[in-house]
Amino acid sequence: MDSMETIKQTFFQECEDLLQDLESGLILMNDGESDDETINSVFRAVHSIKGGAGAFELTELVKFAHIFENTLDEIRSDRLEASKEVLKVLLQSSDTLTDLFEAARDDVEFDDTERADELRAALQGFIGDKPEEASDDGGMPAMSMDDMGFEPVILDFDFGDDVDVAPDAIVFDIVFTPNATMYAHGNEAVRLLSNLAELGDANITCDRSTLPAFDDIDPEGAYLSWSIELETEKTEDDIREIFDFVEDDCELQITQRGGAPEGGPEDGLPDEDSAETPDIAIETTSEAPAMDNNEAVSAAPVEVASVEIEVKAEEKEQPKAEAPAKPEKKAEKKAAAPVQAATIRINLERVDRLINLVGELVINQAMLTECVVEAGLSRDSAVSSGLDEFKQLTREIQESVMAIRAQPVQSLFQRMSRVVRKAAQATDKSVRLVLEGEFTEVDKTIVEKLADPLTHMIRNAVDHGVETPEKRLENGKPEEGIVTLSAAHRSGKIVIEVSDDGAGVNRERVKQIAIDKGLIPEDAPLSDSEIDNLLFMPGFSTAENVTTLSGRGVGMDVVKRAIQSLGGRVTISSEPGKGSVFTISLPLTLAILDGMLVHAAGQTLVIPLTAIVETLIPKPGDIHHMGPDGRVLNIRGTFVPMIDVGYELGFRDSPTHSERSVVLSVETDGGTQSALLVDAIQDQRQVVIKSLEDNYGHVPSIAAATILGDGRIALILDVDNLVSSAGDSRASFDPTLVAAE
Amino acid sequence: MSLKDHIKIMVVDDMATSRGLVINGLTELGIKNITYENSGDDAFVALSNAPVHLVISDMNMPGMSGLDLLEAMRAAPPTAKTGFILLTGSDDPSLVQKGIKLGMNNFIKKPFSKDQLQKCIERVVGRL
Repeated sequence: MDSMETIKQTFFQECEDLLQDLESGLILMNDGESDDETINSVFRAVHSIKGGAGAFELTELVKFAHIFENTLDEIRSDRLEASKEVLKVLLQSSDTLTDLFEAARDDVEFDDTERADELRAALQGFIGDKPEEASDDGGMPAMSMDDMGFEPVILDFDFGDDVDVAPDAIVFDIVFTPNATMYAHGNEAVRLLSNLAELGDANITCDRSTLPAFDDIDPEGAYLSWSIELETEKTEDDIREIFDFVEDDCELQITQRGGAPEGGPEDGLPDEDSAETPDIAIETTSEAPAMDNNEAVSAAPVEVASVEIEVKAEEKEQPKAEAPAKPEKKAEKKAAAPVQAATIRINLERVDRLINLVGELVINQAMLTECVVEAGLSRDSAVSSGLDEFKQLTREIQESVMAIRAQPVQSLFQRMSRVVRKAAQATDKSVRLVLEGEFTEVDKTIVEKLADPLTHMIRNAVDHGVETPEKRLENGKPEEGIVTLSAAHRSGKIVIEVSDDGAGVNRERVKQIAIDKGLIPEDAPLSDSEIDNLLFMPGFSTAENVTTLSGRGVGMDVVKRAIQSLGGRVTISSEPGKGSVFTISLPLTLAILDGMLVHAAGQTLVIPLTAIVETLIPKPGDIHHMGPDGRVLNIRGTFVPMIDVGYELGFRDSPTHSERSVVLSVETDGGTQSALLVDAIQDQRQVVIKSLEDNYGHVPSIAAATILGDGRIALILDVDNLVSSAGDSRASFDPTLVAAE
Repeated sequence: MSLKDHIKIMVVDDMATSRGLVINGLTELGIKNITYENSGDDAFVALSNAPVHLVISDMNMPGMSGLDLLEAMRAAPPTAKTGFILLTGSDDPSLVQKGIKLGMNNFIKKPFSKDQLQKCIERVVGRL
């Protein structure tokens, strides 16, 4: 049953959307921002899930959805008030429905039947003890269709065929005039014409009037055109399909004899016509009873089209009349249709392939640019200006392709409200999740890979951040804690923040734990922000509060690593008594990076632009030596450790002291500044990221590689890693750096 | 040619799953001419351009519901006599009553088997 399996997959996909609709609808209702359509769409979601689940015999899902649906129906028909209490259960039910769905999708045993039963009982409680009508184990309804006395429809096929405009034989007049390009593209008029003749009775005449004298004939020119009289049951679309490939290379006129072209009703309703056709049509409706009218229609298929005109005209005249109300809706919709955002589902592989190709295109374009430079062509030569346009186009294509992969973080964020509900329930806290900027668009892979770290951070915020209700009241805060999840585009990056209005990081305890675990020396002089950042250290787990919730052996270091693997960074800032903010900043895409091309010890390297704060040429007086190898740079009064990139990566044996060196001031994850010393800055440009791990192996301090315009490979620096490994050799300088390794 | 080859059926459902199930069922029954629409509104527009013999429409859809579509169809001469089967998730008697009043020709409750679908259609249009 292959087709059934396909439909099942469709169902699972659709279910995910439906569950999202369900949840966002319920949240709207919970926030008191719903209207009638909200409850309707919520109802429809559960209804459709139940319907689909029934078809695939997912009984647990059906059972739960059934009572859920009934409860929603009660609300929909105003028999049950959507109170806070009811909505709380509904939201929890939507969570359980999601769990049930996931179990069904992954074909695993649903392990929380107890909770499902509990919720079912609660839902049943809302709608009273109405017996479940028509026992929900499927089966045909109690009332069989035999009892209903339905009228069968009499299908008169002679008659029916007349009504069916499509299969009726229609005569089309087709004028086909190929351009020279059509032949140049290897298309033959003969083949097209014989295809056309297969559609029906064709009468083909060749027009040779434009054929010049033999001597004047350009062998690659096009001089002939054909007129075809085609009597066919097919539609104009079918005819056009034949010319699909040569559409741009020929002139094609298709007219349907005796009236408006079939299959293109929109085009077939010119304004002039509507001035007179409606009269006829209205006459038809007003005078003829239904049956006669059908005959009128069958007499000339053209009039079927006019019926539609009539509908439109009538609606203009009396828009409030009851009968045309529906058609009016329809007409509106038709007009609105092109505006409406239609979507298609595309296999991700195809999109990724496209992105890879665009990556190649970017490289290719860079190579071409270099060739042109080498060829010594002047800036204002045609090639150069053409190349500029090409560059511009490449960039636009690249952005458009990236946009295909971009999706709003909304779905991800909404899942988090579920996490908050579950976490709050488990810890007996009252917490509300506030979402901001959920329409911010982010690369799909990033959205997917953010799910786990974000879940963890949200759990942490509820578990460790927000205080118990009693404590909050004691501290003069409202009982309900607030966790805010926000997303925004900020200077070419995506910034996601998880903040809570809890107690903030208990720095004394965090420091003590780190000392106890031997992660930092006892006398380490740490700033507040350095202490906060201890939370991200591997091996740091606030063991005291291993709760059922957060204590799953996953520390914040795992979160940090996950974010880093996405090329992003996470920082924390905290204010005692007021709460903490975790900030994740991520690149817009994983495929292409804005970087600065630099030279160091004869190597070309790429430094991600996101890490760079500023570039400067240091004055000799600003460089101070510390110890044998250590140097610091005075940047406007702040002393920043200097790292010679060429030396650090092993490209040269000792740090340089060249006065012509350039310094890139960079900021790492932990918020520490460093000054990277390079020989020169070459360019700032976009580079395509090529994974080293996939093609070679992991290299410390190197994030990836790229291919430059001249075909050489350049390494992309992993600034954080470089800074921390450089820090290793200067153990005494920055305690957090020591700790981080 | 049997009825299977000849009859034109339009399936109207906003959910791809449910639509797929009906179309799959119809295909297995050997029906050759099947079209589908995603909404009642689209279906109504499509019907006025290319009539069919039988419409099988879901009840619960955004915009025009199944019964809204039925009502609109019955009010428009070209589709006034077109067969209409309502696809429902529930067998709420009042819904069925409403449908009968509007002139629906049959209804079928989800989930349904191939046999049920066949019987349901045959009651409307005769032996397939």
